[in-house]
Amino acid sequence: MARLIRLLAILVLLSLGGCREGTSDALVFAVASSPSALHPLLATDAVSERINALLYRPLVDFDAADRPVPGVVRWQRIDDRHYRLALNGSPVPFADGSPVTLDDVAATLRTARDHPASPHAGTLKHIVQIRHEGDALRLNLSRPDPRLPERLHLGVAPASRLEEGGALARDPLGSGAFRFLGWQADGGVLLARRADGLKLRFAVVPDPTMRALKLLHGEAQLVQNDLPFEMVERLARDPAITLHETPGTTFSYLGFNLEDSVTGDRLVRQAIALAIDREAIVRHLFRGHTRLATTLLVPGHWAAHPGLAPWPHDPDRARALLAELGYGPQRPLRITYKTSTDPFRLRIAAVIQAQLAKVGIALTIRSHEWGTFFGDIKAGRFQMYSLSWVGIRSPDIYRHIFHSASLPPGGANRGRYRNPDVDALIERAERLPREQAVPLYRAIQERVHRDLVYVPLWHENNLLLSRGVGAVAPRRDGSYGFLEALEKK
Amino acid sequence: MNRLPALILGGWALLALGGWILPLTPDAIGLERLFATPLSKGYLLGGDELGRSVAERLAAGGGISLLVAVLSVAFSAVLGTIIGMLAGYLGGWTDRVISRLIEVFLAFPGLLLAIALAAFLGPGIDNVVIALSAMGWVGYARLSRNQVLSLRHREHVLAAVALGRAPPAIMAYHLLPLLLAPLLVEASFGLASAVVAEAGLSFLGLGVQPPQASWGSMIREGVRYLLVAPHLVLVPGIALSLVVLAANTLGDGLRDRLDVTSRSRP
Repeated sequence: MARLIRLLAILVLLSLGGCREGTSDALVFAVASSPSALHPLLATDAVSERINALLYRPLVDFDAADRPVPGVVRWQRIDDRHYRLALNGSPVPFADGSPVTLDDVAATLRTARDHPASPHAGTLKHIVQIRHEGDALRLNLSRPDPRLPERLHLGVAPASRLEEGGALARDPLGSGAFRFLGWQADGGVLLARRADGLKLRFAVVPDPTMRALKLLHGEAQLVQNDLPFEMVERLARDPAITLHETPGTTFSYLGFNLEDSVTGDRLVRQAIALAIDREAIVRHLFRGHTRLATTLLVPGHWAAHPGLAPWPHDPDRARALLAELGYGPQRPLRITYKTSTDPFRLRIAAVIQAQLAKVGIALTIRSHEWGTFFGDIKAGRFQMYSLSWVGIRSPDIYRHIFHSASLPPGGANRGRYRNPDVDALIERAERLPREQAVPLYRAIQERVHRDLVYVPLWHENNLLLSRGVGAVAPRRDGSYGFLEALEKK
Repeated sequence: MNRLPALILGGWALLALGGWILPLTPDAIGLERLFATPLSKGYLLGGDELGRSVAERLAAGGGISLLVAVLSVAFSAVLGTIIGMLAGYLGGWTDRVISRLIEVFLAFPGLLLAIALAAFLGPGIDNVVIALSAMGWVGYARLSRNQVLSLRHREHVLAAVALGRAPPAIMAYHLLPLLLAPLLVEASFGLASAVVAEAGLSFLGLGVQPPQASWGSMIREGVRYLLVAPHLVLVPGIALSLVVLAANTLGDGLRDRLDVTSRSRP
């Protein structure tokens, strides 16, 4: 008997040891993957960027119409080459109580511009001088840039911590609505809302069925996207669970290696675009929870081209093109398609494979773990792949992904697209105010659409499932900003 | 009672034959029939996450599991019996070396070794057969060695030796026929183990590769949709359970029938 009691006591102690202090009363947000870096300027994965937006307040923010509005700083345009940045009132201090200063702003700008791993380096490299001028910072540019504020959507961090290098990514400190409490054993993070102390735990649950079960059993209160749509509809039928849906800005596409002897041929890419029945995929696999895309920017965006016709589904024309290129039943066109191991992406890949097979394209699917897959894409080891761009707000993205000077690792021109016309258009558009830049951005979209650098697929809706919380509305860009005002029931 | 396992195994064989002979299209994607429930939209057992017929994939998967099971049991039995008979008949250092080797193999969990080997060789049906055979021969070798050790002193064997028959002939004509009954029982259990092992390797992604169907990969893919389409797991799961249960029951029946000592008891 004594032995049994001792055994039970040990089990109780062990189970208590397994519970981390202070997480039991937290709201649980189940996510598919762990944030890789909680650094406001170096993160490149979607989960990290979304959590960073909770931890760090941006220098410049955007309003609902994607217009820049003052964040931590307000700006004054002296002329197209000179700006002054001043603190916007008394900014919310950092989570440790220290005030946000102009030194922090300057260090944030320098890190975003100079750090070799910064995804912002390409769009900020024309800032040649950052210096104090009274109670403001003066920015001198090497070229005219009337839209510089749009490029300053950067989370501000303390100068002393930025100088430490990568440590900030593991121990973040910002002035955002949430403060960082610690990492969890599953790779997730525990945050606390600074206004009222509400705890929020991002729990990493890679398996979609497990995420759904956790929501069903009340072990998680929030799940956003990354669930099969059939499962979303099944969960939404549960009276305790509420589904919130908004059109999203995430852009999914098929990318090609333009240096490859096969996919480098525009007619091959055209045959692929014509062979894919995107409407059928949206109707059946997405169950209508998504919109077909023609360009990277969502319809209604100030720079989006409203008149571009989507590539139609025309298998006969695809076959004719392939025949013109010398491919046919005797000599099928063979292409390797790389994707991640995400089950839903694999389903899409299987459907695309079947659709391409109907016109005589033999597609080999290679699925890899995220690290290997993304590494291959950055290194150009692919013929065709599919990925998404998340949180696109500004046409600045065109320099990052289509300019010939933006080949990896310096940029994200992963398809190795080189078009001097597009380069010139990008450079000219960047120098113009919004209204004047619109025709140039439309011209860029026309060329990219014609050259089929990407086959545009769709803009996925944001689907948020919640239980035990007040009214919420997911953001268009899939960010977690709604958590700032979320109420726990 | 004993007919039911035979019927189930017969049904399995027929299903597999159907998978090979009939013009089925188990990989044909039908977007209009995603997650179709059994007996709906012209599907006997429903549709899967890509609208493929679960019944046709079950037949195709049955063919794969039968092929892998029969081939791996056959290779294992032939290899293991030869090695075991050599050890038992020749004795001496041959027996000592082979016995130590058998002990080494038995010291590791068989399925774990098969997983390691399949991972090393790469995915594919041929490599699954190689991996399962490389692990499966041990049971047959141990059994035949032990049997030969007791049979080699029988009068008819001693007579054959005295008449100058060569050892291979003695093993083939005077010992092997007496080994067949226990080997048959071992093979029936081996069949069940091979079916489970193939399904396990495919479940882990080391066996049959998509889009080809196997019961293990069907279960793996179906688990993701357990909440919305449980038939994707239940159909191959029940088929797998029935076949394994039937093979084991048949093995038990065979052992009881072939065991003279148990039959002679009142």
